[in-house]
Amino acid sequence: MSQLSQTEGQLLELDRLAVTFYTPRATVRAVRDLSIEIRRGEVLGLVGESGCGKSTAAFAIMGYLPGTTRVDGSILFEGRDIAHMGDSDLRELRGNRIAMVYQDPATSLNPSMRIGTQVQEVLREHLDLDSKQVRERMIELFESVRLADPEAIGQRYPHQLSGGMQQRVVIAMALACDPLLLIMDEPTTGLDVTTEATILDLIVELKDRVNAGILFVSHNLGVIARVADRVAVMYAGEIVEQATVGELFKNPRHPYTAGLLSCVPRPPGDDGIERKLSSIPGSVLDAQIEGGESCLFADRCPLAQDACTAQVPPMTDLDGHLSKCLFPDDVHSGIWGESQERNKELIPEEPIPVLNAHSLRKFYGRERKKYLFFGPPVQQRVRALIDVDMKVGTGRTLGVVGESGSGKSTAAKTIVGLVPKDGGKLELRGQNLADGVQHRSKEQRAAMRMVFQNPTASLNPKLPIRHSIIRALRKFAGLSRDESRERAEQLLEAVGLDPSYLDRPPSELSGGQQQRVALAGAFAASPDLIVADEAVSSLDVSVQAQVLNLLEEHQRESGNSYVFITHDLGVVRYVSDDILVLYAGHVAEYGPSEAVLGSPSHPYTEALLSAAPIPDPEATQNQIRLEGSVPTLHSAFKGCFFAGRCPRKIGDICDTSAPPEQAGSHGEGHIINCHIPVEELAIIQQQPFQNGVSVT
Amino acid sequence: MAIEELDSQVTTGGANALLKGASRKVRRGLSIALRTNSGRIGFAIVAFHLFLAIFGPLLAPYSPTDFTSEDLKIRLTGPSMEHLLGTDGFGRDVLSRVVAGARSIIWISFIGTALGITLGTIVGMTSGYIGGKIDQVVMRGVDVFLAFPGLLLALLVINLGVQRIGIDLWPSKEAWLIIITIGIAFMPANSRVIRSAALAIKPLEFVQSARLRGESSFYIIFREVLPNIIPVVAVEASIRVSFALLLTAGLGFLGLGVQPPTPDWGLMVSENREFLSIAPWAALAPAMAMASLVVGVNLLTDGVREAAQLPISQEAS
Repeated sequence: MSQLSQTEGQLLELDRLAVTFYTPRATVRAVRDLSIEIRRGEVLGLVGESGCGKSTAAFAIMGYLPGTTRVDGSILFEGRDIAHMGDSDLRELRGNRIAMVYQDPATSLNPSMRIGTQVQEVLREHLDLDSKQVRERMIELFESVRLADPEAIGQRYPHQLSGGMQQRVVIAMALACDPLLLIMDEPTTGLDVTTEATILDLIVELKDRVNAGILFVSHNLGVIARVADRVAVMYAGEIVEQATVGELFKNPRHPYTAGLLSCVPRPPGDDGIERKLSSIPGSVLDAQIEGGESCLFADRCPLAQDACTAQVPPMTDLDGHLSKCLFPDDVHSGIWGESQERNKELIPEEPIPVLNAHSLRKFYGRERKKYLFFGPPVQQRVRALIDVDMKVGTGRTLGVVGESGSGKSTAAKTIVGLVPKDGGKLELRGQNLADGVQHRSKEQRAAMRMVFQNPTASLNPKLPIRHSIIRALRKFAGLSRDESRERAEQLLEAVGLDPSYLDRPPSELSGGQQQRVALAGAFAASPDLIVADEAVSSLDVSVQAQVLNLLEEHQRESGNSYVFITHDLGVVRYVSDDILVLYAGHVAEYGPSEAVLGSPSHPYTEALLSAAPIPDPEATQNQIRLEGSVPTLHSAFKGCFFAGRCPRKIGDICDTSAPPEQAGSHGEGHIINCHIPVEELAIIQQQPFQNGVSVT
Repeated sequence: MAIEELDSQVTTGGANALLKGASRKVRRGLSIALRTNSGRIGFAIVAFHLFLAIFGPLLAPYSPTDFTSEDLKIRLTGPSMEHLLGTDGFGRDVLSRVVAGARSIIWISFIGTALGITLGTIVGMTSGYIGGKIDQVVMRGVDVFLAFPGLLLALLVINLGVQRIGIDLWPSKEAWLIIITIGIAFMPANSRVIRSAALAIKPLEFVQSARLRGESSFYIIFREVLPNIIPVVAVEASIRVSFALLLTAGLGFLGLGVQPPTPDWGLMVSENREFLSIAPWAALAPAMAMASLVVGVNLLTDGVREAAQLPISQEAS
């Protein structure tokens, strides 16, 4: 990795930092015990689940904490204590010496100001430059974050840039005064996986170039593995483990880290055995609870002994590898039960698939005439789905992947009947499915249920959680009030929640618990098919693993099928029997999951795979990068849907005619829609490939 | 059909539970509203007026309406021990009349507001939830209503009503006509506000989830959407009450409301305004009563707004 300059000392030193918020209702211990150091030219990854105090720590370093906050310990930046510094000194540091990049670039930029004006404002505020120098510096900054056409970017407004370009601008602004310390708080979390990859490449590149210290906060282990030199793992407001990235991922010495790593779905190991996903039971210790004389992780830890609750474990130094565990030597792979082989028996295929979609089409927008009401129609309708075929067999899972804007959610909504289709055929167990859900029979509605992405929004906040489950039971199973109550209690137990939760309002449940309630509601009518639209995307890894295991268990027991929509390739690889890769409403590739994930594959699949962060710093991936975002294709569009971003574009044919449907390597049932012959794809994809990093 | 599909919880035995739940929520909302100073002061003022409206006539020293030839001799006298706020043009006790006048204005405004809010909520939620062409048509209709000035609408309704309605109503035809006027006047603006609140709820996943269960639109609107916009309805209602008070008093002043000799604040101001230079108390007392009630309602509104803005998590706990 990068060379650490030995001559310069620590840039930032946090010593036993504790941040406590006092509110009229409660005392919140957001950060309990945080000691980290950052040198110049080094990226320290700060990782942990939500609610562990990562962002509070970042804000404390910036001095952005409200007045009612108590800060203990010290935050030494170049030897000066930020925690107890006056406002004017802090202002001097912020922007000049310390800069921050936030999660959502769209809210970091003022939507009503041109990019150039905003960037120049920062430069004028902090540097003593005349207007010509300011302009030059701005263009220099845009070049340094690899924004193509840096002259023109300044003239644009934030909404005219894609999310990735916006984040580059934000990073450029952070770099404006050559800061010594960069704090990045989940800088890629809101971005598509392909865009995330390009931003991470940029950060890795900047690290070596700008010689600043970077604190990189993320919940995503794969992202951390890609950019960090050292990693600090945070749990319930304190650091539990700290080591170099290679060491930490290979040889975790704290059970929490080991647990986090075992929660992430990953491809089968060298032995070809697919391991079961383990999960960490319970949830992060409530910040309102005082820790006392105990290990804060003890209540969730498989290694916990009496000694663990009798004292606060000290931070032990094992050759530079710090662990706050009493038994670091007992931590090894398998303590979370992850070495169990996954039981992946498939129910024998039935002749009639559960769901059969043929040439599914959906357009958005209306057809307009050229002159108000007259003239030829102008083709302005947007392609949301074009000729999408899919088949889901009994007890199988179809994974649907693609970036945002690829038509995944539209596909889900069309299948369940929330939006009418504009063409094609939908069949459930061989029976035709009407367009809107209101035209479908009760049996069809009961046989096909949906789970949504946002668990908080999928339960009515004003009604107790029993409402949705009991309504489903009464509507579909025709149970009486008492029967349905009893059944609802069983369902809650089946998803691992206490039956007493039935009468609670959703706001008293965590996101993971809410999602399990949503699952209980979906399971209520013993459906044949559950359409899960990004059902685990908003959950922390440990909770995500719980929900994935729950889904798998239910499938094994009741033989239902899933259409599983996600942007996370790791998850889709883990759950799917078949995979459908969508791009701008078109099928890029469709087939059995090993065929789609293997070679040869569609150039888009290839790019997605290469961009997906893998929680292993030693993993080797091709660097195929896609720039920009999924285009909006109008109904009159000709040519290949992917031509605009394809790194393997072969020529004019890609722009002028739609790609042919080719049978992939696995023969029938594996489809690749590309102009490049499959045999050729197989050859070129064997060779290492790396495309440029400039952004257009 | 819609009624059949409605959960039995709403139609039959559950109605009690629902009411109980609702009253619990109202109490909780009120207790939050009373956390602010303005809420507390407003509540005290409004409670005082309500107390007078209910028990005032029992406590009032004189009859508000009757007068004798003896009384005529003491007409337009200033405040004294016998008549704390003096007497009016017929020698009636102003205090007794002010106290008695609270009743009509309060019940007319409150019921009128309730009518307007109920209509507006039903129209707004339905139109917003159903959307599409129906929404367009309904909202253009609302625009037409909005284009009428309130007072003009009142003149229209009351004149038509007084002429056309043959039967006698308790306590007076005019009172009911004012209530209807307030209802019609408030419905359009209120339905706009409620519609936008409903539009924010409509795309949420629990509503889609209910559609996927095959629930009727009627059920979704009243069982899934309505509970989520109750805070908006509460704020709307409390804002509109003060408008209703002013409208009622204004109509009384114009002689379109409750007819003499019934005591009515607007009417009293109008009757006694010609004596303003020699006996200001007779017109000022009802005006002050009116002003304090409106201020009280507005302060309470601030408190209600505060309660409505609390995040769901705290409200539900």
